Amino acid sequence: MERGLYIAASGMVSEMARQDLISNDLANASTAGYKSDTAVQGSFGELLLRNTETGATVGPIGQGSRIERQVTDFSAGPIKETGEDLDFAVEGDGFFAVQTGQGVRYTRNGQFTVSPQGTLVTAQGDPVLGRGGRALQVGADGRVDPRALEVVQLTNPRKEGDNLATGTPAGAAGTGQVRAGALEASGADAARSMVDMIASLRSFEAGQRVITTIDETLQKAANNVGTIGG
Amino acid sequence: MLEGLNTAAAGMAAQQTRIDAVANDLANANTTGYKHLRVGFRDLVYTQTGRSSAQGPRTGAGAAAVDAGRAFDQGALQRTDQPLDVAIQGEGFLRVRLADGTTALTRDGSLHVDGTGRLVTSTGAFVQPAMSIPAGTALSSVTVGPDGAVVAGGRSLGKLDLVSVRSPQALQPLGDNVFAATAASGAPRPAPAATTIAQGALEASNTDVSDAMVTMIESQRAYQLTSKAIQTADQMWEIANGVKR
Repeated sequence: MERGLYIAASGMVSEMARQDLISNDLANASTAGYKSDTAVQGSFGELLLRNTETGATVGPIGQGSRIERQVTDFSAGPIKETGEDLDFAVEGDGFFAVQTGQGVRYTRNGQFTVSPQGTLVTAQGDPVLGRGGRALQVGADGRVDPRALEVVQLTNPRKEGDNLATGTPAGAAGTGQVRAGALEASGADAARSMVDMIASLRSFEAGQRVITTIDETLQKAANNVGTIGG
Repeated sequence: MLEGLNTAAAGMAAQQTRIDAVANDLANANTTGYKHLRVGFRDLVYTQTGRSSAQGPRTGAGAAAVDAGRAFDQGALQRTDQPLDVAIQGEGFLRVRLADGTTALTRDGSLHVDGTGRLVTSTGAFVQPAMSIPAGTALSSVTVGPDGAVVAGGRSLGKLDLVSVRSPQALQPLGDNVFAATAASGAPRPAPAATTIAQGALEASNTDVSDAMVTMIESQRAYQLTSKAIQTADQMWEIANGVKR
C-alpha cells in the first residue's frame, strides 16, 4: 500500500526538476545564442512481485520515475538582424572561441564589444579568438572582418553559464559562415515552454491526488477496518 | 527543488534592465549626438541537482543582463542651416571644457555664443580651444570648415579640437551629452583625418525608434512569460502543501 505513496512522490519530484529547467528556458528567452534544455525522464528499475506463500509470480511493478539528465538542443537558432557592427552570428553549425581565465571556452552568443586595448571581447570582457587563436584587433572604423573570427565544431558541448560552453574542439570542417550585424536568437521556445509548464503542473497535481487518495484509503484501513456498523 | 522561482525572478530582473535601457534610448530619441545603449543577456551558472551527481539534470539559475557598451555608429545628419550648428561625420568627439574646469568629449555640436562672446555648447561647456566671436560680427558670417577651422567675419579664430579615444565603449557618460575619458578608454588623441565637420547640421540620436519599440515589446512579453513560471512554481508549492490536509 505505502509503495504507491513513494511512487507518486517520485513523479512529483521529477516534475519539480522539469519545472526548474522550463523556468531557466523562459528566463533566457532573450539571451542571444541560448540553447534550450529538455528533461529526460526515466523509470526506476521494476520489481517482480511474487506471492509469499505459493511463490507464484504476480507480475512486475514500477517504482516511479526520475529525471535522469537533461538534453541540450544545440541546433542553430534563428538569426536576427541587429545592424550593430560588433554583433556576430554563426549561420549554421559551430561556436566562437573565447579565451577565459579557465581556458578556451565556446559560445554562440556573438554580442561582442571593444576592450580598452582595442581588441574584440565578449560582453564579460573575455577576448574573442580569431583564426590561429590570436586576439582580434577592432579596426579604426569600429568593425571586425567576420571572416577573421575563429569558428569551431564541438563534440559533446556542455553549457556552463555566462553564455559559454565547454567541449572538445573538432576542427572547422562543416562550420557555418559568420555574419556581422546579426545575432542568433535564443533557442528557448516560449510557446513550447508554456505548454510543457502546464502539462508538468497538471502531472504534479495528479501525483498529489494519488497521494491524498492513498492517504484516504490508509485512513479507512486504520480507522474503519474491524468496526461494526461502520 | 523548485529553484524555478528564483530562476524566473532573475530572468524578470534582466528584462527589467533592458526595458530601462530602452526607455532611456527612447527618451533620448531626439537628443543631439546621443548614442544608444547595447544590453545583452547571459545565462547563469548551471548546477547538478539530484542525488546521482554524475547523471542528474544540470539546472541553470536564470539570466542576467550585461552591459555591452554603446553603439557609436553615426547618427543621421539633420540640416538646420544655423551657422553655429556643427555635426561630426565619422569617429571622434569635440573636446570641451566643463564649468568645473575638467575636459570632456561630446558629439553634440549645437553651439552658441555666451554673454561674453565665447563659443559654448548647448549645455554651456566651453569649446576647446577657447574661441570668442568678436563683438559686432554677424553670426551668418561665421564659417566652419570640414577640418573644424572657424572663421568669423574673415578672421580665423582657430580650429575646433576633434579627438577620438581608443575605446569609446569605456567612456564615462556624464550626462548633458558629454563623456569623460577614463583609463580604460584611453586618453583623447587627434581624430583620424577621415573625420570631418559639417556646418549647418546636427547629428541626430542614433536610437532607432522602431527597433527600440520592438525590443520593448519583446522584453515585455518575455517578462510576462517568465512571471508565469513564478505563478506555476507557486501553484506547485500550493499543491505540495495540499498533500497533508
